[in-house]
Amino acid sequence: MRTPEINRKRFELARRCVYVVIALAVIIPYFFNPKQEFKPMAEVVSVYEKIDAMKPGDQVLMAFDYDPSSEAELYPMSMALLRHCFKKGVIPVIVTHWFAGLGLFEKACNEAAEDANSMWGKKIVSGRDYALLGFRPGWTDLIVKIERDLKGAYETDYFKQPTRGMKALEGVNSLEDFELMIDLAAGATVEFWIAYGTDKSGTPMAAGTTAVSAPDLYPFYKSGQMIGFMGGLRGAADYEKLLKIPDRGERGMLAQSAAHIIIILLVLGANVHMFAKRLFGNKRD
Amino acid sequence: MPDDLQDNPKSIIRHYVEMGVLALLLVVFLAVSLWRQDPLHQKDAAATMKAIGLILAAGLTLTMYSFLYRDNPLFKIAENLYVGVALGYMAMFVWRQALRPMVYEPIFHAPTWSALQTALLHKTVPIIVGFMLLTRLSRKHGWISRYAYALMIGWAAGLAIPNITNTYILKQLYAAVTPLQQAITSAPNTPAFSYDWFVGTAGPVVGTLVILIGTVSVLFYFFFSVEHKKVGRAVSTVGIWFLMVSFGASFGYTVMGRLSLLIGRVQFLLDEWLKIPST
Repeated sequence: MRTPEINRKRFELARRCVYVVIALAVIIPYFFNPKQEFKPMAEVVSVYEKIDAMKPGDQVLMAFDYDPSSEAELYPMSMALLRHCFKKGVIPVIVTHWFAGLGLFEKACNEAAEDANSMWGKKIVSGRDYALLGFRPGWTDLIVKIERDLKGAYETDYFKQPTRGMKALEGVNSLEDFELMIDLAAGATVEFWIAYGTDKSGTPMAAGTTAVSAPDLYPFYKSGQMIGFMGGLRGAADYEKLLKIPDRGERGMLAQSAAHIIIILLVLGANVHMFAKRLFGNKRD
Repeated sequence: MPDDLQDNPKSIIRHYVEMGVLALLLVVFLAVSLWRQDPLHQKDAAATMKAIGLILAAGLTLTMYSFLYRDNPLFKIAENLYVGVALGYMAMFVWRQALRPMVYEPIFHAPTWSALQTALLHKTVPIIVGFMLLTRLSRKHGWISRYAYALMIGWAAGLAIPNITNTYILKQLYAAVTPLQQAITSAPNTPAFSYDWFVGTAGPVVGTLVILIGTVSVLFYFFFSVEHKKVGRAVSTVGIWFLMVSFGASFGYTVMGRLSLLIGRVQFLLDEWLKIPST
């Protein structure tokens, strides 16, 4: 008969084995990265097509509502969107409810600007080709304020430059003046933006979220309150594929698939074990 | 050494072995970091600081994952450091991004007398309400904060009720009924069992029915005023199945999200810390 102590040790060993197997499943594909084919999801394609159809000089309001704890999923999306905008000459106007991510957003703008310079020979300048407006407190109040008077909500940008007279904000006074609103969110801000912002102004809305929040967005996508969205690292990978600039999203897909297969096998194995135990009894114990 | 190990020789040996392995791993980590990042031979101070920052970030990442083996002193240090840094960062950003530009500078560094008057006009009430919230910290004067909370809740409710009703109920209802209405309108013009009939008529009708059955049965499952017997039990069982499918989808996405975080950290360790080029 196994004692509780032996059972506990077996459980501890099994637990650590699972961690090791998952770690190997994620690390090994990094070194042997064969081309993995996948078809971008319809909800991501519609976001891509919307931006791709814009004219140079059109403005997109982007809310980067996340911080470094969601960097793995949302930073690749931010990079893909910024690169696409810079490639097309579309002007991203970036706001946030999450101050802890501001350093990350500045880095994303700088990296995407460097990429635009190296890939398409475009010199991207803050205040002209993009505007990083930064953080203001208020949550829903801030959205309501932006919906009515963007420059009143942000008198200066993140770099302390006045927004009145800023070239990137020419012709933009409120949310309805934007061609598109995109919220990259680690929390519930997408629903706030829909309820307090785009449903009222009629601005087309898209989103990018962590995988955990993605199922909550399908009702809004199906009802037409959003034109599309990107869910998790897969969403970022889809956008990178459409943009034809592979980066962290696409590179992570093989590791993710490998880990998913391992998890499915573990779940199946555990279920078979449980049913076998139930069927044949547990005489040994 | 933890007190509970004092009388158990096996545990004492294991404790010292674990501490030895931990020290060895620390030495290996430092050696690899110095080899790959080489902070002492960078071209300028900024590059040196960046290399040191990367070593620290990699060290803290590995320390956090060390918890998967078991709780250990390094993990405790990293955990407390994380909380402390996050709080310090938050305090600094609230000051720099909100309090200084929106409260301090307009009042204490107003460029003109009229600018000061405008600032006082717009900001006096919010500042007072803000201070009223802080009275929550005192047992004696905590009641004052209730007025501030009442104001905030009233404001938020007034703002939320029309917007949330529109977004979550009216627009969702409209979206649920529209395909049905379109299917009924297009049905007479479409030959039955053709491709267009399946896509334009049967599909939306079935979809709407599934949503209707799902919504009603799940709501009924949580309706405890009536005993769930016979038909009621069948309806609530259907509700459970819908809930299970929903939980399954959420769980699947959650697993995907957690793996993405691991992939992000592994990419950081391999790309930036070890500088191994990906294939």
